[in-house]
Amino acid sequence: MAVQRFPLRQRSEQLAATLPPLMVAAERVAITIAQGVHGRRRVGQGETFWQFRRYEPGDRPQIIDWRQSAKTTHVFVRETEWEAAQSVWIWRDTSKSMSWRSSQDWPEKRGRADLLALALMVLLVRGGERVSLYGSGLSPSTGQATLTRMATLVERTGTDGADLPTFEPLPRYAQVVMLGDFLAPIEEIERTVRRFAESGVRGHLLQVLDPAEETLPYGGRVRFEGLQDETPWLLSRVESVRPQYLNRLSSQREGLDTIARANDWSYSSHRTDRPPQTALLALYLALSQRLGN
Amino acid sequence: MLHLGIGGLAFAQPWLLLLLAGLPVLWWLLRVTPPTPRTQWFPAIRLLLGLKPPEETPARTPWWLVLLRLLIAALIVLGLAQPLLNPRTGLTGGGPLVLVIDNGWASARNWENRQSTLDDLLAEAEREDRSVIVLPTAPGPRGEPLASSGLLTAAEARPVAMSIAPRPWPKDRAAAQAALEDMQLPDPANVVWLSDGLEGENAAEFAVRLQELGSLRVLRDAPGGLPRLVAAPETAGVGLMLRARRAATGFEDSAVLIATAEDGRPLARTPVRFATDEQVAEAILELPVELRNQIAQLTIEGEASAGAVMLLDERWRRRPVGLVAEGALEEAQPLLSELYYLGRALEPFTELRQGNLDELFQRDLAVLVLPDSIAALDDSQSRRIGEWVEGGGLLVRFAGPRLAAETDEELLPIRLRRGDRMLGGAMTWDHPARLAPFDASSPFAELRVPNDVLIERQVLAEPSLDLGERTWARLTDGTPLVSAVQRGEGWLVLIHTTANTDWSNLPLSGLFVEMLRRIVRFSQGVTGDNTSERMLPPLETLDGFGRLGPAPPTVLGMDRAALDGGMVGPRHPPGFYGDQDSRRALNLAPTVDRFAAMGTLPPGVTVEQYDASMEFDLKPWLLAAGLALALLDLVISLALRGILRLAPRGAAVGLVLLFVLEAPPSSAQPTDDTFALRASLETHLAYVRTGVPAVDEMSNAGLMGLSRVLNRRTSVETAEPMAIDLNRDELVFFPLIYWPITPQQQDLDPEAARRVNDYMQHGGTILFDLREASIGGNVFSQVSPAVQALRRFTRNIDVPPLAPVPPDHVITKSFYLMNEFPGGYSGGTLWVEVTEGRVNDGVASVIIGGNDWARAWAVTDNGQPMFPVIPGGERQREMAYRFGVNLMMYVLTGNYKADQVHVPFILERLGQ
Repeated sequence: MAVQRFPLRQRSEQLAATLPPLMVAAERVAITIAQGVHGRRRVGQGETFWQFRRYEPGDRPQIIDWRQSAKTTHVFVRETEWEAAQSVWIWRDTSKSMSWRSSQDWPEKRGRADLLALALMVLLVRGGERVSLYGSGLSPSTGQATLTRMATLVERTGTDGADLPTFEPLPRYAQVVMLGDFLAPIEEIERTVRRFAESGVRGHLLQVLDPAEETLPYGGRVRFEGLQDETPWLLSRVESVRPQYLNRLSSQREGLDTIARANDWSYSSHRTDRPPQTALLALYLALSQRLGN
Repeated sequence: MLHLGIGGLAFAQPWLLLLLAGLPVLWWLLRVTPPTPRTQWFPAIRLLLGLKPPEETPARTPWWLVLLRLLIAALIVLGLAQPLLNPRTGLTGGGPLVLVIDNGWASARNWENRQSTLDDLLAEAEREDRSVIVLPTAPGPRGEPLASSGLLTAAEARPVAMSIAPRPWPKDRAAAQAALEDMQLPDPANVVWLSDGLEGENAAEFAVRLQELGSLRVLRDAPGGLPRLVAAPETAGVGLMLRARRAATGFEDSAVLIATAEDGRPLARTPVRFATDEQVAEAILELPVELRNQIAQLTIEGEASAGAVMLLDERWRRRPVGLVAEGALEEAQPLLSELYYLGRALEPFTELRQGNLDELFQRDLAVLVLPDSIAALDDSQSRRIGEWVEGGGLLVRFAGPRLAAETDEELLPIRLRRGDRMLGGAMTWDHPARLAPFDASSPFAELRVPNDVLIERQVLAEPSLDLGERTWARLTDGTPLVSAVQRGEGWLVLIHTTANTDWSNLPLSGLFVEMLRRIVRFSQGVTGDNTSERMLPPLETLDGFGRLGPAPPTVLGMDRAALDGGMVGPRHPPGFYGDQDSRRALNLAPTVDRFAAMGTLPPGVTVEQYDASMEFDLKPWLLAAGLALALLDLVISLALRGILRLAPRGAAVGLVLLFVLEAPPSSAQPTDDTFALRASLETHLAYVRTGVPAVDEMSNAGLMGLSRVLNRRTSVETAEPMAIDLNRDELVFFPLIYWPITPQQQDLDPEAARRVNDYMQHGGTILFDLREASIGGNVFSQVSPAVQALRRFTRNIDVPPLAPVPPDHVITKSFYLMNEFPGGYSGGTLWVEVTEGRVNDGVASVIIGGNDWARAWAVTDNGQPMFPVIPGGERQREMAYRFGVNLMMYVLTGNYKADQVHVPFILERLGQ
């Protein structure tokens, strides 16, 4: 998986004609990851030559490389690199509650989720996997054209989606990656995840949260209003309920972790004021281990 | 009105202060009402639902916000109560307000103060609904007797009082006292005397009379604010002795006397210092005679009153006196020669010229002195002198051996007996004669005759009938010593003895100098003065503020005797009398004899100074402060409710903007980057934004027009002109900056001056346009407003040496060939830096002219010229454009065009 590093300006000019800005950002994020993680350097099914090795009993005669064997006294077999392409479905929360940020200094949760989704797609496509956006109805595919299509799809999705994905039958052994704030009731989340797991799909949950949602930095007399028509809640002294809120949040997280582990999924969390690379790296490592198994 | 002892504060509406008692209630109300909660969108609200704070303390408005609101309420209440700082002493009793206003010449200084005081007093009378009596103390222009206005309401009295203006003649307190005699008042009155601070004839007595009407308050000026006088200047040697007088002593003071010419040009500025105990300050003004003779008035700078103006007429001019020194024979003993004595006597008070007749007659002369020792006059010379005397000249001849032998009677006032008379000699039986006292009709009248003046020899006159009236001075035996006769317009004067000590010791005495001075003064001067007997009509008179203007119809003419007597009054205000050819000045200052500050006043009189008691109404300020705090409260409330989300820094900026409303709009300008990009991506002509809209528009339109011409005719491609603010913008991008000079422009700050210096040192060129016609000669010696403004702007700018554009300067041939550089005006000189070295490619960093080029260049959007050029013609406009093109070429190409002159030679060499 050779990474070409053109000067940024040249690349951006090249890509600008065809790629939406989000794509560029995603590529930039993906590049930093790709440097750290290299492909599945192991023997497997594929086209690319991997290594010669001595023939051992039990090897199929068809894989003997006669030309190599003729050069020496031993018999060599030719092994190719493992190139099993898998399909990954990526879903991210497009509900209104994602289009929010507590400060101008960091992006909205939705923007960060889009970026991570697309960057992950870039990485996966580079790795030869087939990707698709869950819910788009497109079958998984690979290649630069796919990325462009996905980027367009990601950018054009509105802000009135559901909190959680509705189940669609996926092929067995497919992977699904869910990005969202997962603030829905824990039971609903469990139901959804189990539904996927029962059909043999494995996946990963990435919770994207705003710093304000993690710390509740408000004080005084505040009336809170939700973004999805929740009932407003008036608090006379916000600072006094902060510990309780943090408790509730951590129990929500523990619930998510439990769900993930129970279904052999994985769960990680990300704050929008942190760089996206760490989250992407974690996500990618989790996925690549899974893909490699 | 409620007076507080502290700091002179009073409330006009004190009962409103009761509202302050309501503040605690307001406090309680504000504390109880909880603030509106702020609204916060929050996606994780589900986690918050159902949460309750452990203890339910009632939400309170923060204490500082309550305090702020209380402060606002208190400010409004205080403001409505109308507090007055330094309030006037209130009117007492219920009687009318009697305003006695000194409006003689001495009140003109600080008249604004008097008027504002008057205004305040009338306002107070209006508030208290008092009737008002107004009494000025200077007679009106018709000389009518003084009369008070009678009882008026305050509203009626206001126009009456405000129409009182200072007069150019003295006040008449005796008349004012008389006007008070028949005043009947029902109640004890409040008398306020707005005095001019001078003692006058009887200040204390007048005050006593005023006190009889009721309580008396006297307003007077601080000693430094009392009026000053310019006394008549005197000739002192080669200079003019200027004197100023002041009324008060006891402190040091200074004044600046300005001598102006008839057309208002200032000729000299002379500072004078008053020593601590002196009433008079003197200074000697030395000026070239031609300039000195142009002085038409002396004024005290910054003091507008008739007393601070001294009008000068012919009498103060130094007369040019010619002393014929032709063929002087006494070179061997120069200290005994007549020329030496005459020179020493005439030098101090005249402009003395020595030479032969031809040289002397080349310039105007008032007096011609012929000593005896000169060579004999030939016919043509006599004829010439005769014509000159007929035309108004005064010829003074001295007797001596040569005259005694003379037979020519032409240029003599009397017929002389042949030979001279010798007294006190060995062969004579008479003693040397003394001088008889002068007749009252003689020009020498009142001169004291010293006893030790002895005449030993004289020439004698043939007795005749009119000898007596032709004699100006005689000896004790009755023989004439000085005789004179009028010849045509002029006079012939003969001194019957010599101008040296050969015949008498008169030339050694001070009387000799005095007599010569009288004779010179008797001459008409260079302009004629033959108005001895006529009635002189008023020509121009001074008003109360010392401004010279046409005489009002109430002014009467005067004869010369009255003028010399110097009565100044309503019918004869100070000014010029006579006609344009010969006029006499009537001045106020010499008639002021009692000039002292007001002494002590009788007990019981309140004395105040004008300046110290300026009433100041705090109401608008308090209300404005209340409003500002209310705005602050609004901002805070909005911020607390989360509607207005300001970063702390942003909020601070917002508040600062709220309070500094008049801050220039510069803070809203684009950043430097955009300016730099805009300025550097294309070539722009630039002009200095002066802040005067008309000038800036003209500059913009002018450079727009020049840009068009440049783009059409030359390879210079310029974008639209840019306005630059010297105090803010970087200049380095512009090859040429057009700077129209206007006095209204603000000064440069030091940083801007540094930038301009930097710009000029590194190749930039600034075209200063004084925008006024015909600047000739030396730019920097002129005193026009534009030159002064230019000088002000360039004070911190390092302006290189300048010279008028030489005919072979590059700018005359950089694109077009031209030899003058017209603009909106034509003919002015263009000054450029003298560039000698190869610094900056020989391009001058400063070009100064006054032709208002932008006016000629200015075009409308569709290319039509916007302004006419003066004197006019499309050719002038075309030449103006050509100048612009040349200038731009010069600035952009430097000495390249200068080198072009060598091209033929280079080509020739290459050809070989």
